[in-house]
Amino acid sequence: MLGLTLQILVDSLLLGGVYTLMAVGLSLAFGVTRIINFAHGDIVMYGAYAAFFAFVGLNVDPLLSLLLVAALGGIGGYLLFKLTLDRIIESAGINQVLLTFGIGLVLQNVAVILWTGDERSTTPSYAFDSWFLTDDVIVAKGRLIAFILAAVFVVLLLAWLRWSELGRATRAVSQNRAAASLMGINVRAMYALSFGLSSALGTATGAIMSFLLPITPFMGFPILVKAFAIIILGGLDSVIGTVIGAFFLATAETTIGYLVPQGIGWAEGVAFFLLVLVLIARPTGILGTVGREA
Amino acid sequence: MKLFRSCLIAASLLVPAVLANSTAQAEDVIKIGAPVEISGKFVSYGAAAKRGIEMAVDIYGGKVANKKIEVLYRDLQSDPQATVNSFTQLLVEEKVNFLIGPIATPMTMAGLPAWRRTKALWVVPGATTPLLEEEAGKEPMLFHTFPYAYYYHRALARSLKEKLGPGKTVAIIYSDDAYGREHLPYAQKYFTEEGFKIVAEELVRAGATDLNPVLAKIRRVKPDILLGLVQTTDGILLTKQVYVQRLNIPYLVGTAYPQLKQWQDATAEAQEGWVGVTTYINGMKAKADPKYPKLFMDSDAWVAEFTKRYNRVPEFIDVGAYVSTCMLLIAIENAGGVDDKEKVAAELKKLDVQTMIGRGHFEPSLGGTLNQAFADVVVHQRVKGADAILYPKDFETADKFEQASYAK
Repeated sequence: MLGLTLQILVDSLLLGGVYTLMAVGLSLAFGVTRIINFAHGDIVMYGAYAAFFAFVGLNVDPLLSLLLVAALGGIGGYLLFKLTLDRIIESAGINQVLLTFGIGLVLQNVAVILWTGDERSTTPSYAFDSWFLTDDVIVAKGRLIAFILAAVFVVLLLAWLRWSELGRATRAVSQNRAAASLMGINVRAMYALSFGLSSALGTATGAIMSFLLPITPFMGFPILVKAFAIIILGGLDSVIGTVIGAFFLATAETTIGYLVPQGIGWAEGVAFFLLVLVLIARPTGILGTVGREA
Repeated sequence: MKLFRSCLIAASLLVPAVLANSTAQAEDVIKIGAPVEISGKFVSYGAAAKRGIEMAVDIYGGKVANKKIEVLYRDLQSDPQATVNSFTQLLVEEKVNFLIGPIATPMTMAGLPAWRRTKALWVVPGATTPLLEEEAGKEPMLFHTFPYAYYYHRALARSLKEKLGPGKTVAIIYSDDAYGREHLPYAQKYFTEEGFKIVAEELVRAGATDLNPVLAKIRRVKPDILLGLVQTTDGILLTKQVYVQRLNIPYLVGTAYPQLKQWQDATAEAQEGWVGVTTYINGMKAKADPKYPKLFMDSDAWVAEFTKRYNRVPEFIDVGAYVSTCMLLIAIENAGGVDDKEKVAAELKKLDVQTMIGRGHFEPSLGGTLNQAFADVVVHQRVKGADAILYPKDFETADKFEQASYAK
């Protein structure tokens, strides 16, 4: 029983790390711009492809290519914002939803044209390695790496938001864009910056997913759905809330998967049911503020 | 006025001539509808089907009974609604009497109601679902040229029993989508019939990110064989996580995915020992058909020809679409090049050829499809990065299943 409990704990933590990666970029972009980026899953997918081609073509490990992939993702996200979203930032929310949804579809179809629908994956040695804590308790090395990187990303992001000039400006825009503007902060530049940063986190996540999950042009949508659920649960505009939401969902799914017969088939449904219960009790999510302002 | 009258007379003389010419041209063309998945989720299937059809028409010479073969490709976009539209357009507007495709089960099922409007001669070189059999198996115009799901499990159970002996236990993982749920009863039936004891049946969500809870449950029952009834994307995740978890199950068995290069590339060392089923795998040796040696060549010659054209090694759908198209073209030729589905169907039924994937001959399937060809499947195993063929006897290149290797 102790072994089972320990394995549930380990798997919940590691899955929580993966879920945090999927959601944190989406949360950041929404927190600042108030735009739900429906193309976020496809940005993750492009990161995964970039890491894959670096691995296969240049023999560069995904953990090494991650920084470059993130930088390219950041530049791409910044440009995407400037060229598209910036023009409709004051429009009705539905226009922004439709635009990001459309961008996602375009990105997906371009990927199909460029790389076909074939499944791919990077295959570094750590993706196949694991440690036995006891006879029954196993830690997959690839997932542990993802967990550590998720922790690093979140800490760096929080540190940036708290202590850097730009980070503080970003938080100011997030809290009250009118006041931030009156204080001389270039609101639109902050939007573009946070969208770029969100895309950088998305593509970095893709690089990590490249050795955990099969890469296809269609991998983005399930990631988006999961990330969306997590940020709703955690509170749409809170990075810490996103982390809590990710671990809540991961723990619920894993526990149900282990303890309920045919549980992994039920896990997602039950986890989403719990999400609904949490939202009934706390409509803004665990740490969110969106909705309170309105 | 005179000029107008002259023009009118000239036009009245010309129009029938032009019409007669265009009718003659239309009569000189045999149109074949090819609704295939050229984009979307099943693009790899559709692309392979298109290659096979193209190559068959080309090697046939582009003409049948002196009539130009015109293949009308329609992209189903891997989408049921687009499939309905494409079928309707081909059957009602283009009025094709012959159809070949699609490959994926959901697309075939989506096209079925539209097909019923004209019931053209329909060659289906894919779709493993016995639902197709239930819905349309008794239709005389349906020609299914790919094994149904139950043939997979019959061959797997037989070959494993034959090579491993009696008394072995099996754990089954199946996905909660149509694929997994449809395969499960056939796996249960044939493995039980061959004397295997099923000690676990575990459901997984299609597209899940974590299979560890299921694998932990299976570890506890210590089966001899793990059978994974999932599609390729989930097959990659399953293969990797089974390896990472060091399950120590000696025999790992999949369905169609272990034959796919994309699965092999994505799973690297974790693929070692996995067993799969297919209709064709590289290394299968078949002699040329004595009557049609240019179409159904010696398997090595055909692979060389395909590789030269497409700069890649053929996979099972490439070959399946190729032989299915060739058989349709021969039947049209034998029927005298008529655009008449009844006559061509009669010729297709008579055909008996030796192809790269075995005997090409239509007969009733186990489940009652009137016209079924290529029901035999090959069981193969990934050993040291290559394929060993273990079933049927005619194609065998190894005489025993290797145990899966788990690193250190």
